[in-house]
Amino acid sequence: MDAASSGAQTEPAPAAGAPERPSDEEILAQQNLIRAEQAQRSEYVGNEEPLSALKEEYINGNQNFVQKISKLESAYGRFRRTRGDGNCFFRGFVYAYLEGLLLGRDTAECSRITAVVQGWKMRLVEGGFQELVFEDAMDLLLDQVASVSKPDSGSGPQHEQLLINMRDDTVSNMIVMFLRLVTSCEVQRREDHFFPFIMGMYDEPPPTVELFCQRFVEPMGEESDHLHIVAVTDALQIPVRVVYLDSSGHPGGGSGAGGADLDATVHDFVPDACPPGTQPRVHLLYRPGHYDILYPR
Amino acid sequence: MDIGRINKELKEIERDTASGVRVELRNGSDLQHLTGFVQGPKDTPYEGGIFKVEITLENSYPFVPPKMKFLTKVWHPNVSSQSGAICLDILKDQWSPALTLKTALLSLQALLSSPQPDDPQDAVVAKQFMSDHETYRKTARFWTESFAIPPSQSALEEKIAHITEMGFDRAAAVAALEAVGGDEQAALERLLG
Repeated sequence: MDAASSGAQTEPAPAAGAPERPSDEEILAQQNLIRAEQAQRSEYVGNEEPLSALKEEYINGNQNFVQKISKLESAYGRFRRTRGDGNCFFRGFVYAYLEGLLLGRDTAECSRITAVVQGWKMRLVEGGFQELVFEDAMDLLLDQVASVSKPDSGSGPQHEQLLINMRDDTVSNMIVMFLRLVTSCEVQRREDHFFPFIMGMYDEPPPTVELFCQRFVEPMGEESDHLHIVAVTDALQIPVRVVYLDSSGHPGGGSGAGGADLDATVHDFVPDACPPGTQPRVHLLYRPGHYDILYPR
Repeated sequence: MDIGRINKELKEIERDTASGVRVELRNGSDLQHLTGFVQGPKDTPYEGGIFKVEITLENSYPFVPPKMKFLTKVWHPNVSSQSGAICLDILKDQWSPALTLKTALLSLQALLSSPQPDDPQDAVVAKQFMSDHETYRKTARFWTESFAIPPSQSALEEKIAHITEMGFDRAAAVAALEAVGGDEQAALERLLG
């Protein structure tokens, strides 16, 4: 990153002699610029596309991807991109979940998740989070759940509205923020369970679970790891399937001559409390550093 | 922008009068431009000072940190003595939306108590902090008395008054006090010497 150097060029040299660090303003201006560029390139949540559009991206590149996508096409026909702003897991997860509620008209699940989310209010307060920090965000998430379960109108306008909401800077980010706080709280509540994983994630791990959460879970834009997914799926009791798509397989990507023998790795995150055989409610496609939404056939 | 939250934050700060931090609106009902006030912590060179902080909230607050810089001049390794710019992790990449304006201002107060010279904003002050700590303390105290303590209660004003009563003009008194880090006796000796 050259945020520091390019920021410093616009700052008049301080009279005191030694160069100063770029100011908060300069760093933030740089970050905002990057965000604005990303926003121009893509929505927080994109439109549904056929999986073949993804294959097109790799057709002249690594053939291992092409093979794996070809095999995926038997299980998944379509996918939806999310913006690569570090929040893609949480945003993709919650959008796919809400969309599933809406399209499935799953009122039982709506009631369940409403109760679970409301139950987090007290846990967050007990965990040291101020109510004023999360209550508006919690209400926004509950509003989305309530509106997808409304029986009156057809799914068309509601689906449209969900997409509009999840593309809105405030609504979309508030909901992502709420999920981050719940994830942080879950990790801290089950410190003994998560601490060993945190120790294994970094060369110089944060000394406490609390610091880990403050540094790597709560801030917007911090990318999600395996641990975040375990915590949030447990916290909300929502089973998720992640399909891992990477270049592993034939050396150098092969030529495709070896036949379509490569499979993407599948990992299910099923909360312990779910009965065995529980089907995932959300399907995500992971490519190193990024999550998109997958639609099963 | 989450206006509801900002209003709640402001109310909470107002209610908690014991916290040592305060926030005021700068222009009428504009919630994006605020002024914060931080009390200098006890047993530090900043004790007794009230430090004004310019606060700017972007549309994307609280997803991004509030912009803060000192309006009151501060002699501190992590604050630019020129611009008031602050080097504090939570105002940059360590900001979490679980934090608030109040916690940010309290963090500034904590920073005044515990300078981090290894991560400086002002290299000159940081160097002085490490290599000549006594001069750092005296200079920081002098700046506090000069800029952060309201004139009516300022010990500096008293010292200036004493010196000017002896016939020296105000500018000379101020210059002498600054040169010796605010010690009245030493300033007098300097002027008389």
